[in-house]
Amino acid sequence: MTEHTLPDSLKTTFCGLEFSSPLVLLSGCAGFGEEYTRVAGFSNRDVGAVCLKGTTLKARLGNKPHRIFETPAGMLNAIGLQNPGVDHVVKHILPALDFSETRFIANVSGSTLEEYVEVTRRFDDSPIDAIEINISCPNVREGGVAFGNSPEMSARVVAACRKVTQKPLITKLSPNQTDIAENARRCLEAGSDAFAAINTLTGMAIDVETRKPVIGNMQGGLSGPAIKPMALLKVLQVYQVARSHQVPIIGQGGITTARDALEFLVAGASAVGVGTALFYDPLVCRKINAGIADFLARQRIQRVGDLVGTLDTDTLPLTLCAAG
Amino acid sequence: MHPKPHRGTIFLEDAEVLMQERFPGEQYVLRMRAPQCAASALPGSFIHVTCDATLPMRRPMSIMRVSNKDGWVECLYKVVGEGSRMLASRQRGDIVSSLGPIGQPFVLHPERPRLLLIGGGVGIPPMIFLADVLRHDARVQWNPLVLMGSEVPFPFKTRPSTILLPGMPDGVIGCMPLMEDWNIPSRLASQQDFPGCYSGFVTDLARHWLQPLDKNALAEVEVFACGPTPMLKAVAYLAQKLGVPSQVSLEEFMACAVGGCAGCTVEVRTENGPAMKRVCVDGPVFDGASVFPLS
Ligand SMILES: Cc1cc2nc3c(=O)[nH]c(=O)nc-3n(C[C@H](O)[C@H](O)[C@H](O)COP(=O)(O)OP(=O)(O)OC[C@H]3O[C@@H](n4cnc5c(N)ncnc54)[C@H](O)[C@@H]3O)c2cc1C
Ligand SMILES: Cc1cc2nc3c(=O)[nH]c(=O)nc-3n(C[C@H](O)[C@H](O)[C@H](O)COP(=O)(O)O)c2cc1C
Ligand code: FES
Repeated sequence: MTEHTLPDSLKTTFCGLEFSSPLVLLSGCAGFGEEYTRVAGFSNRDVGAVCLKGTTLKARLGNKPHRIFETPAGMLNAIGLQNPGVDHVVKHILPALDFSETRFIANVSGSTLEEYVEVTRRFDDSPIDAIEINISCPNVREGGVAFGNSPEMSARVVAACRKVTQKPLITKLSPNQTDIAENARRCLEAGSDAFAAINTLTGMAIDVETRKPVIGNMQGGLSGPAIKPMALLKVLQVYQVARSHQVPIIGQGGITTARDALEFLVAGASAVGVGTALFYDPLVCRKINAGIADFLARQRIQRVGDLVGTLDTDTLPLTLCAAG
Repeated sequence: MHPKPHRGTIFLEDAEVLMQERFPGEQYVLRMRAPQCAASALPGSFIHVTCDATLPMRRPMSIMRVSNKDGWVECLYKVVGEGSRMLASRQRGDIVSSLGPIGQPFVLHPERPRLLLIGGGVGIPPMIFLADVLRHDARVQWNPLVLMGSEVPFPFKTRPSTILLPGMPDGVIGCMPLMEDWNIPSRLASQQDFPGCYSGFVTDLARHWLQPLDKNALAEVEVFACGPTPMLKAVAYLAQKLGVPSQVSLEEFMACAVGGCAGCTVEVRTENGPAMKRVCVDGPVFDGASVFPLS
């Protein structure tokens, strides 16, 4: 159980970083990198990277309960970016992480443009491997998705953060907007090295007995298998913008099985995120790795990277934005 | 290298259902084979179980008893919704995925050997586990009293106690036979007029026992409780008024149950002001006065 020999076929590079697997643990689902190692048999070595919990300039207590609720094939969450603040993360959490096990990616949030910049600056001066800008958190009143739903604001945040870091900069895109491709294009011009797509979709649940919203914050972010088809299409839409610039994507949203992961890779994701699926099966990454490796062997594909963006659209008229 | 003692302490096991027994009030006792969990569980620990493949989330359940020798863990639960209903349909031989043991257990203090264990409804399980540990602890002569409250019939046949308990109101003689077998005094409370039970809240019964104690006696007392939130609040208030420490086991909706999502937090008073603590790994057992401060 202690040996971690992932097949070579799973190795990939992402923004110049060596990933032992295309799998990435998603922000907010694996705490600050050590939480899942409580589970016997789980290892950070099973994933290419771990995205840490959304971090702000000052500590945040987060939202009042309930913060999570099960929904059909998924769940709602409104954590409200509970975190101890960037200085605590840099001083006390990062030094305790074992960087020989995997790559660690910071997830930056803020209520103002200045806050995004300052948090990014402080992570730049740390051992963190890459920085993900979360302009798509649906659970805070200011910043977050309010920035991410405007291509103009998104680009301004990216450009400003770009100025203060040389580390790979990943922009996490919101699905709660009209034209994700346009947003991606603007962020790309502003200097984004990579994309993460998608963050959660906004939703809610009501307790009809009390007629109160179940989630303390009223609205929350929907994740899990329920959002997978939407996420897949959005990844394809972003890929069509990012492809010619060789800007990679961490595809995410409901990935639970190797087949799900393969779909995102084919759609154009260079890496694939696992979040909500961990909650049901904490050892799911091993299964997904094994499933991807089997598929690659069966299809005689040497490297997982060779699968990326191989969607066969030759016979299809591509009208990705319109339905019906 | 930083020490990482937390690593590999929670086990994912395909647990075979060994027994599922139904009690009135849609209560069930479920015994399943989970040897790794059984070997390291402590009173207050819980497991996070799958109820059915159609449900995207697991459900947290306290551990009531374990057998290290036979490698099983036992839970007591009440059907309240879809998950618990599906769990109740599991039969002998079925496999349930169990993640555990999880959480910070109750902490014993030898300088306070007089323990008041209060369990309400399906909050009874950790109290049974705690009582079981106390009777096997050869280091300290523990002196526990178990009080249980329920508004549905108790998930065991009650009977008159043969252990005398000074300070109990007249007629409150009903006990839990298992505790009696362990030579641990127990008494029961309910508002449903069950024979031999105290008529009222279990916390009022606790007050009956605690209030007459003098300062020296109270200095040896510690209160442990698990049950519905209003009950825990009442317990924490009562303990604070009498200057006695209390430990309470809380519940909150959970996703990961390993500390990764911060979905299960409760507000806790700390030296540095209010903090949000995760029920799954920082709890489920918390200092009563920190979660339910009097002022
Ligand atoms: C640490 C801990 C120990 C517990 N121990 C026991 C026990 O020993 N016996 C027992 O009967 N119950 C126990 N519970 C409560 C039990 O987890 C819930 O009754 C159960 O999750 C309800 O699921 P459901 O689908 O039947 O109900 P529903 O109401 O349909 O559940 C809907 C969603 O809300 C969540 N939920 C609802 N009520 C609770 C609750 N009280 N606590 C946590 N999540 C909830 C469910 O997990 C589910 O995701 C414990 C809870 C915690 C946190
Ligand atoms: C409990 C929870 C907390 C999350 N917190 C964050 C966060 O702090 N920052 C962020 O960028 N995304 C956050 N997310 C979104 C996830 O990183 C991910 O993008 C989303 O859940 C979709 O993937 P999934 O369906 O595999 O979970 C959170 C998701 C969940 C379920
Ligand atoms: S349930 Fe995820 S942190 Fe407690």
